[in-house]
Amino acid sequence: MPLLNVKNLTVGYNTKHGSLKAVDGVNFTLEEGESLGFVGESGCGKTTMGMALMGLLPPNGSVREGQIIFEDKDLLEMSPEQIRRVRWRKIAMIFQAAMNALNPVQRVGGQVAEAMLVHDDSLGEEEAMVKVEELFDLVGIPRDRMIDYPHQYSGGMKQRAVIAMALACQPKLIIADEPTTALDVIVQDQILEEMKQLQKEFNLSIIFISHDISIVADMCHDIGVMYAGQLVEYGPREAVFESPVHPYTKALLSSFPTLTGEKTDLVPIPGETPNLVTPPAGCRFCDRCTQPGTTCKTEPPEWVAISGEHKALCCRC
Amino acid sequence: MNPKSNQIVRIEDVRKVYKAKGSFFGARKKDVVALDGVSLTIPRGEIFGLVGESGSGKTTLGRLLIGLEETNSGKLFLDEEEVTHLRGKELKRFRRKVQMIFQDPYQSLNPQRSVFDTVSEPLKIHKLGLGSDKYEKVRQALQAVGLAPPDDYLHRYPHRLSGGQRQRVAIARAMILNPEFVIADEPTSMLDASISAQIFNILLKMRTDFDVTMLFITHSLAAARYLCDRIAVIYRGNLMEIGPGEEVIGNPMHPYTKALLDAIPKFGQKEVMKRYGTLLSREREDANGSGCAFFSRCKVADEGQCSMTKPVLNERSKGHLAACFF
Repeated sequence: MPLLNVKNLTVGYNTKHGSLKAVDGVNFTLEEGESLGFVGESGCGKTTMGMALMGLLPPNGSVREGQIIFEDKDLLEMSPEQIRRVRWRKIAMIFQAAMNALNPVQRVGGQVAEAMLVHDDSLGEEEAMVKVEELFDLVGIPRDRMIDYPHQYSGGMKQRAVIAMALACQPKLIIADEPTTALDVIVQDQILEEMKQLQKEFNLSIIFISHDISIVADMCHDIGVMYAGQLVEYGPREAVFESPVHPYTKALLSSFPTLTGEKTDLVPIPGETPNLVTPPAGCRFCDRCTQPGTTCKTEPPEWVAISGEHKALCCRC
Repeated sequence: MNPKSNQIVRIEDVRKVYKAKGSFFGARKKDVVALDGVSLTIPRGEIFGLVGESGSGKTTLGRLLIGLEETNSGKLFLDEEEVTHLRGKELKRFRRKVQMIFQDPYQSLNPQRSVFDTVSEPLKIHKLGLGSDKYEKVRQALQAVGLAPPDDYLHRYPHRLSGGQRQRVAIARAMILNPEFVIADEPTSMLDASISAQIFNILLKMRTDFDVTMLFITHSLAAARYLCDRIAVIYRGNLMEIGPGEEVIGNPMHPYTKALLDAIPKFGQKEVMKRYGTLLSREREDANGSGCAFFSRCKVADEGQCSMTKPVLNERSKGHLAACFF
């Protein structure tokens, strides 16, 4: 039985321009100890999906359809109180722009302790501080920096502190939303290595969300590619990288400059993403696709199995 | 006017220090050395890449070159003419020849001005082009950056443009005076990958169409490899390595460049990449600041000369220089 089973998840927002579906019919499963990465460009719905899994959608957003089955229970049918018990204790999140996720007027050690105290009534304050010390060792921050304030930390250290906070209640699942985007490559590399080790050590499941496909591939066994609210390709990273089938995945891969191999011309994707208030009837990528079929514009595409777990939402594949 | 020289930009031993303000009670903080004796030349028609992490001084160098900041010491030359401390009319004349494309197109365009106002403003400032002539020039500039048909965009305001379109407007504004030298400071760091590729290709087209020389400032070695003829790697205000793009990435000489390459996610590269392992896992604490800037994090450094003397750039193979004793 998978740890997390997401079925037909559809999340809508009410905006002043109308109602839209930011995530539209996404299905996936995640086993214990596995990692799954979602990649896509801004506005594809990846962050919204992460927030929906945490039950942290903004007031104008709501889950319209679907199920989020975590450890055999549907999170969407739980009361707010029940959800509060799962959140952070079982499912934790590393937020985008972690540097701003810390409270600037509270000592970092105290903030990490607070995450534990709020979710565990039996824990005393002193016990919590001992645990914070262990967590700081784990993520590689010197213990004597516990009494510092966030502004005294470097970007990488803040990121580490936020990871420590996510680990505080020993969750089973961590959702990491662009955890290294604001960091320099050397620091990013160190943080990613750290996360990989922690994952092994605690048998964590990780959902990794990023716009950078190379980071996602580096971290995760399986990759889901998202476009305009839909999952369009899914599979093991080798398959998605080496033999991508969806035209969007192909286009995305050929728009990244590489460090090795022959210098080929980058091929930008023409056009813009569709307006989700009035989504196209057929395939959402159709207008930007280099080889659309005759029915692509009018009929919604269907999932096609390529090999094993590898599949794509495209009627031409 | 000077005959056109081959070296359009020359920087000689430039130093820039930002004075730190001490607090009223506390001790004075240490000054920040943003550039610590940087020298380089850029020949006409070249796209020169300056690669570094945040705080390395790469943006400061760009700002010095366009005259937004003043150097503490050292000299800057454009077309063999010294431009280190220009004032008044001369500065204005200089700014006709040098333009900048900023990082964030959401902030670099005035939201209250239409595309036409923004792109034509340099013409107005330099009193070039009148009336209909001005319209024609703006149309051409928009066409050149792929905003076509230009009449669809002329009277739009930035809020009705996507990030990629805004950055193109910024490029059109920079190119409309037909400058000799353009500084592009991380022009794609706020944009998605597919849009970045569009901007890269437009910059390459600008070079062929307008024969412009470019300084491309970036944190991404891969982007620099794609765009640039030569690459310089900068670390804490010091140039560590300069060379032809392929050389610096395929055959890096400096331990810092190697550490940067090591840190890039490897999955999906077309070939297997070597691991250099030049980064110390724990920073050295005994660095006294008089030696190599990378000493505290360098695995190959030796305690003697690397900590005492600052290495200078020396040539390893034709046109490929590294500032390292090893």
